[in-house]
Amino acid sequence: MKVSFNELQGLCRKAFAGLGFDDGDAVDAADMVAWMDAHGLYGLLALKNSLDYLLNEGHQPPSVIYQDADVSVLDAHGHTILGNANLAVELGYAKARARGLSVTKIRHCHNRILIIGYLSRIARRNMNVTAFWRNAHTPLTEQVVGFRAGHEEPELCAYTVDQVPDDVEPNDGITLIMASHVDLLPGLRSGVPLTDLIQQSEHSLAALMNHSLHDGIEVSDALWEQLKVLASRLLVESSDASRQEAGAAGTDND
Amino acid sequence: MITVDTRLVAEQLRPAHEVMSLERLGSLHASRLSFVRSLIRQMVRERWQISRTRFDLDEGGHGVAIYRLTTPNQCYHCVVFSRALAPEARSDRVIAEAWDVTFAMVEGEVEESLLQHMAANVPLQEAGRQHPRVLVLSRANKSLRNFEQFVGALANGRQPDPAWLTAVGYLYRTTAVYGNGKFGIADFARLRANPDFCRPFSAQMAAVYLLRHFSIEQVNFLARQQAPDSAVPLAPDLQRYLGIGNSTGLGMAPFLINHPQLIEQWVHSREQALAYARIQPVSDGDRARLLELLERACRHLEQTKTEDLDQSTRNRATVDSVNQVIDWLRQTPPHPELWQRLIRWAQATCSLEAQELVNTLLIELYPTLIDTLEDELGCIETMELQPDMRVERLQALIESHFDWALKYDEQSADDNYWFWYRSVEKEEPRLGVRASEQGADRELAVAIGPRICRCYHLLRDFTATHPRALVVEFLLAHPRQKECVRRIQTMAGTAYGEIRANLWHRSMKPMHLLRTKLSFFGASRFDPKSDRWVRVTLFQGAPLVSDLGDPAQTAEALDDWSFPLEPSRERHERSGPERRS
Repeated sequence: MKVSFNELQGLCRKAFAGLGFDDGDAVDAADMVAWMDAHGLYGLLALKNSLDYLLNEGHQPPSVIYQDADVSVLDAHGHTILGNANLAVELGYAKARARGLSVTKIRHCHNRILIIGYLSRIARRNMNVTAFWRNAHTPLTEQVVGFRAGHEEPELCAYTVDQVPDDVEPNDGITLIMASHVDLLPGLRSGVPLTDLIQQSEHSLAALMNHSLHDGIEVSDALWEQLKVLASRLLVESSDASRQEAGAAGTDND
Repeated sequence: MITVDTRLVAEQLRPAHEVMSLERLGSLHASRLSFVRSLIRQMVRERWQISRTRFDLDEGGHGVAIYRLTTPNQCYHCVVFSRALAPEARSDRVIAEAWDVTFAMVEGEVEESLLQHMAANVPLQEAGRQHPRVLVLSRANKSLRNFEQFVGALANGRQPDPAWLTAVGYLYRTTAVYGNGKFGIADFARLRANPDFCRPFSAQMAAVYLLRHFSIEQVNFLARQQAPDSAVPLAPDLQRYLGIGNSTGLGMAPFLINHPQLIEQWVHSREQALAYARIQPVSDGDRARLLELLERACRHLEQTKTEDLDQSTRNRATVDSVNQVIDWLRQTPPHPELWQRLIRWAQATCSLEAQELVNTLLIELYPTLIDTLEDELGCIETMELQPDMRVERLQALIESHFDWALKYDEQSADDNYWFWYRSVEKEEPRLGVRASEQGADRELAVAIGPRICRCYHLLRDFTATHPRALVVEFLLAHPRQKECVRRIQTMAGTAYGEIRANLWHRSMKPMHLLRTKLSFFGASRFDPKSDRWVRVTLFQGAPLVSDLGDPAQTAEALDDWSFPLEPSRERHERSGPERRS
């Protein structure tokens, strides 16, 4: 079925609230999913794949493991980036505003791709930002996303890493670099062939957004129903007495 | 030549604590900046054309009608589905499942495939999946008495008694007018670059205007069906006096709270218009024109009928006050600063509704200055966090800009009396009593005042131990405050976005919230059916489709339709039955 952007955002917001997200987190998470999907970046697929986790995981803000004026390292405790992990992004933003450049590492989080939706907000606030992460599954892939300050859409690329290093660290973190005055777009090393390279430009992503606004966004009936069920958790059962509380007149014939 | 001193205008803006009190907002009237007025001006200025492309109704008036709307930029179509509805099924509430008419306005042409899709989905309203080219989705119920009276009179070759329209100013009343992506229709974001409908709610208002035109054509059609030889069409002055009703309830409240940046634009534009007006040097002509408008508005309010005792009392008080204003204005010698004196005098003497009526009519006097403000009624809404703000600064911001919210008392039963929620029945917004009803654990976050107050107390404790901390550090300690902090930081830079009331308080009147929004739409004839449900009329007095491109009428004359008066019955009786055109 086709849904509008606003409708998707609205239902996601209610569904996240139904999942127990606080107001601000529900708003942010819904914006991230809708932004991603409207830009052709499979926000709904990422949500669908993580719904089972979301149903069971608690809510906990990320803990600051280390920070100084320029760098911060936070632990998201294995929770979704859709929760209040975006406060880690905000911490990096605050440092970059003060120091010109900041590095933020969020460890132990999932749904990392959805962070792109939140980074669009950071870019809107006139900050250059790049995110880098490696997917945990094989083949090993790297994803790099960069927003130019003030721009609505990023440039992004993903590629397979052929030579897997002898590394035992789990790939469940994400690194953010923010800079007030310097572009941080993901320029690829020239002359190095990359396997399974996918690249998206600002222009192509803007065109996808425009297309979504015109033709609607495709969503599976099953997922839509699932979101509606979650959203209904915040609805209050009706009774004869509560029907009166809407305040309508006894009869509408005049 | 009218000139504007922007610094002086800024100095004349009324303070937010005065403007944003719920009671004053609940006393607003439609003004020339209201959305229906702006839309009609645009239609006249740009010579929009409306034509009927299909009118397949049976003898009962049921079937399909399609109207084509052509603007300088492109065309749209309004498709109306009319059906028989049993009186017992006629409900204005969102929980209804059938209506006398359902309709939708689409961008571009209506091909057969689109029409089939609409026929299968538009009558279902919320239960259907609408096409992304649909801009507006709506439905309406008949005023049965008016319908029967009008069809009967016209079929008999007589004009209906105008008093019927004074009592109930419409043949149809809408019960919801959906835009902005609801149920699959087009997002408002898509209209932002469209000069026809980039203003807030302008597409919705256009659809309602087209329904008004349909209601006139349908009643004329039914009269002809009933008595082809004797029927006459509805007289043009009665057509103009016929509006479209709207029946609405608590659903308007969450909108006002959830869109503070938009509310800021609406209220700020209106206040700016008033500030422009009040500093204009006053000529004899201005004074005479204001007197004329006051007399018309006073008469309009005298003619406004409602069974609601409170609203009747308010209307009578307004009429009394306006009569005093008229006397004062007649007795006060002309003076360049007459408007300043009038406003001060009204503030000290008149009811709130009368004060706001004077303000509304002052705005009416200066179209050249004020109409440009209608382009400032929209905005792109984004609440942004400022994580690098110091907590001390945030605390100071709350103390200086949200002092009204800090009056909330956690322990006071009255301060916590109500809670807002959505029912499982089509998510209808309702209001429950916290102490005695189920559902407070799932309440809607509508009461901003108490939230800000709670946030403030947490912030004050945090600041005491971390005075140099950043807001993001406060939020890492208290993540549930993120949305509230974002709102405080965003709205602190504005004056008029926040309604300054505790919406949980026992004495809070939801009707004020409804009226606030409806006044910006341009509604008149406020007719409360309870303390949280109201019927209003839109477009009563507005130019007809045939007036829009009439070169014999000036744009100024076509814009002068606020506070319409009941047409004279004698005029129709003297002129005898009108011939069918």
